[in-house]
Parts: sequence; C-alpha cells; structure tokens
Amino acid sequence: MSDVARTARPPTDWNAAPMQRRIRRRYAAERRFRLLGLAALLLSAGFLVFLLATVATNGLSGFSWMFLTGSDATEPARVGIWGALKGSLLTMAVTFALAFPIGVLTAIYLEEYAPRNRWTDMIEVSINNLAAVPSIIFGLLGLAVFLNFMHLPRSAPLVGGITLALMTMPVIVIAGRNAVKAVPPSIRDAALGVGASRIQVVFHHVLPLALPGILTGTIVGMARALGETAPLLMIGMRAFIASPPGGISDPATVLPVQIFLWSDEASRGFVEKTSAAIVVLLVFLLAMNGIAIYLRNKFERRW
Amino acid sequence: MNALAKTAAPAADAPATPPKMRARGVSVFYGDKKAVADVSVDISKEHVTAFIGPSGCGKSTFLRVFNRMNDTITSARVEGLIELDGEDIYASRMDVVQLRARVGMVFQKPNPFPKSIYENVAYGPRIHGLAAGKGDLDAIVERSLKRAGLWDEVKDRLSESGTALSGGQQQRLCIARAIAVDPEVILMDEPASALDPIATAKIEELIHGLRGRYAIVIVTHNMQQAARVSQRTAFFHLGELVEYGETSEIFTNPKVPRTKDYITGRYG
Repeated sequence: MSDVARTARPPTDWNAAPMQRRIRRRYAAERRFRLLGLAALLLSAGFLVFLLATVATNGLSGFSWMFLTGSDATEPARVGIWGALKGSLLTMAVTFALAFPIGVLTAIYLEEYAPRNRWTDMIEVSINNLAAVPSIIFGLLGLAVFLNFMHLPRSAPLVGGITLALMTMPVIVIAGRNAVKAVPPSIRDAALGVGASRIQVVFHHVLPLALPGILTGTIVGMARALGETAPLLMIGMRAFIASPPGGISDPATVLPVQIFLWSDEASRGFVEKTSAAIVVLLVFLLAMNGIAIYLRNKFERRW
Repeated sequence: MNALAKTAAPAADAPATPPKMRARGVSVFYGDKKAVADVSVDISKEHVTAFIGPSGCGKSTFLRVFNRMNDTITSARVEGLIELDGEDIYASRMDVVQLRARVGMVFQKPNPFPKSIYENVAYGPRIHGLAAGKGDLDAIVERSLKRAGLWDEVKDRLSESGTALSGGQQQRLCIARAIAVDPEVILMDEPASALDPIATAKIEELIHGLRGRYAIVIVTHNMQQAARVSQRTAFFHLGELVEYGETSEIFTNPKVPRTKDYITGRYG
C-alpha cells in the first residue's frame, strides 16, 4: 500500500499546455463533424428541393381537369394522366394481393415453423438474393413465363402486377421475418402456457405484434414497385394506350412508364406534362407512405 | 398462518391419495449436454412443492418437463416417464394443448399480453371455449382476478393495458391468467425473482391461498421463500436430485451433506 502511495504520480494538471491542446483538438473535431454532417444533409435536401421546384414550376401549369381525367394522346394539349394513374392503381392492387399474403406467410413459416437445416438455409439465401436481383431480370422472367408460356394478356396490369409481386415479395419476407423475430419470446411462452396451439400463438399474438414492422416493409417494397419502369417495359406496358383500363386484363400503362414515354417526346408541350405526371407520381408515393405511417401508429403496441 | 394450520391437518402422506404428477427417471438433454439426470419426483395435489438449488442446476428445465414447454426448444430431448393422473404426458396420444391447459405455468419475468387486463385473463377460457357467453366469461375473469388477489386493484380499469401495471401486479395478472383456464397443476418458475420484497410477499401470500385448490410447483433460488411457501422441497445440484422430502425436514435436518452445505450457505 505504501509502495503505491510513494510511486503515485503527481495530480493531473488540467491547465498544462499539452492538455489544453488536446481539449482544443477535441472541440475542433466536434465542429468539423457537425459541419460535415450539415453539408451532407444540405446536399441531399438541396437536390430534393431542386427537383420539387423544377417539377412544380414546369408542371403546375399542366394541370387541368382534362389532364386529371384523360389518357394518353398524340397532342400534348390533350393528354391526361388518369389512364396511367388507374393503371398504376390496378397494378399495385395485383402486386399487393399477391405479394403481401405470400410474403407474410413465408416469413411466418420460416420463422415459426421451419426447422433449421440446410434446405431452409438455402431458401433464406435465395430470398435474400432475390431481393437484390435487378428489376429488368424480373421483366424478362415475366415476358418469358407469363406472356410467352402462360399466354396472359400483354400490356395488362395483371401481368405487370404479378411481375412486380415477384420483386416485392422477398422484401416483404425479409421485413416480415425481422418483425416476427422481434416479438419477445416471452409472449409466445405466455400463450403456449395457457394452452394456445401454435397457429393460435401466431395469429393471436405474434402476427398482431409484428404487423407494424411487416407493414413498414411492405410499403417500402410497394413504393419501389410503384416507381419501377424497366420490368414493365419488357412485358409491353409501354404501348400507346388512349383510354383508361377497365380492369386488370386490359392494356394499360403506369405512371413511371408514362413519364418515361412523355419525356421521350420531341414536342415542347410534353415537358410540362412530364413534370405534371411526376407531381402526380410523387403525390401518390406520399399518400402511400402516409397510409403506412398511419397504419403503423395504429397497430403499434408497447410491452 | 390460518391457511397453514388448515391444510396441514389432513394426513397428506396417506398412500391412499395417488400423486397428481409423477416423474420417473427423467433426464433432459440439450443437444449432447445432460441438463437433468435421472430425476424421480412425486407432485401431490395438497402441497406446494419447491424446487431449489444453485443457478444452472436444472431445476427450471425440469419444471418445464411437466407441461412440455421444452418441446419448443428444438435441441431439447426428454427421457423417462412423466405422468399426470397416471397418464403418460409424453405419449403420442396426449394433446399438448390440452395438457398445457391442465398444467398451467407462471414465468420468471411477468409476461402479460400487450392487451387489456380483461383480455389477458379471458384469453385462455376463450380459446378453450370454457365460457358459455359474455356473462359467463365476465364471471370467470372476475373470479380469477379475485383468486389472484388483483381484483380490487384493477376492477375499475379492466380495459387498460396489462403491461401498464406494476411488476408485481403484472405477475399476479399472469397468475390470474393461468387460473382462468382452471388448471389442475400450476408451475411457477421463479415467480418472484423479478419483484421487490413487498410484491414478493403478496405473491407468497397468494400461493398460500391457492394451495389445496391446485397442485403447485415452484422453482426458486430463494431458500427462505421455499421454506415459507412449500411443504415439500426438492434440492437439485448439477442436474441431479440430491434430496427430496418434507420442507421442514430438508431445512432443519437434511440427510445429505451437499444439501446441508447449500442451505447453510456454503455455496450457491
């Protein structure tokens, strides 16, 4: 004990020059990081503001009753967005109807039922890879399987929806598995402990608690599908369609493809219409995200 | 005190009453590791049976054998015979769902469903179709909460979330939830280890009150608790059952030196 006392160093001098230098360096690093972060934020936000401002100034004059209710036309003055909007709505409906139940069931099966072995490992890896496959590949798959092999109607929201569902499903599976995994095991024990069967545990307890997470993942996937252009070009949804689709098997186009088509037009009048279509697409996306946030808050429960 | 005198009166050890549950030569493996080795125990309906022992001695694992909760762990394997009223609960014709309704469980950490207090208690009766109607279900919920000593504290806020209650109240809610399906046996896995002394006292009082109506098995690492609430005590060490007998005997006159060392605080 006395040894320690004798060899103890003198008390720290916080005012010594090296110490002060160290403190100054720390503050400088702090300031540098704040500036860097702010710059990064301004850069990304700046591009968004620039996009919105350009689109708004170019496109707002393009809105009219005719634009909101009409379909594609050869004259820029007579074109409308309703046909593409309805096409997008129908396509999204098909995508959701297929990808959501299949994705959620897959996620639940993999998390709650499937044994851990080589096969499920392989399935897991495949699903993770599927989520990263470029969308054009899915378009080619849709063309080969749904059109050429199954002879489903060309250019239809049905085929577009199925193709996009293939793309969206892995995203939902991954989000769903994480959400299911995040449900505390104690809740499962509690339900099993009063004699709930496995399916009751899943549908009475696990699924309701995982739903906010599943919905968030679903909306992310759906938003990506909504903005997807390339796979739909492959299955013929780029055709010129002058009347809104009546159902999911009618020829149709979707918002991003419509934007792509109009932006390719030589006539000056289409610049305005392209911007207006972008505004419609952005509003659609915002509405979807809004619904997602609303649903998530509604279902979110704390434990 | 009263309850103690009342149920201690009948000669519970009379061989005429067969044990509620019986374990014979039970071993539990996690993969290759033997967590419980060759344990034989009788659980009587009249008594509270305590499993004591140091951490990792296999007492909780052994408890979970009685309602087959180990089934949910894929690496777990159970050998030996476990009977409920003379029926092998690991037999293929035994319905696990029904077994868990007959052998209820209360867990270490209070785990109410993130639903209303009412729904927490009503869930079990509802999935088993035990209530004839809304009025009947209300009655079951009230009776269960009363038995769990929680009714007076929550009767005006049954629609509030069960997770908003305090820890001790949550645990009593979990006991009410277990009682609601009218089990024959209640397994309690360190039910008070996450609670403060006052909440613990309430749980122990509750166990006193429930004795006789249900066969109760409680796992605890708190020896005073075992001494206070139980009439039978089983001492586990390193996966083995070291000694099993009357609680008063185990605590005052243990036959095995290892038990004595543990109880007197030599290790644990």
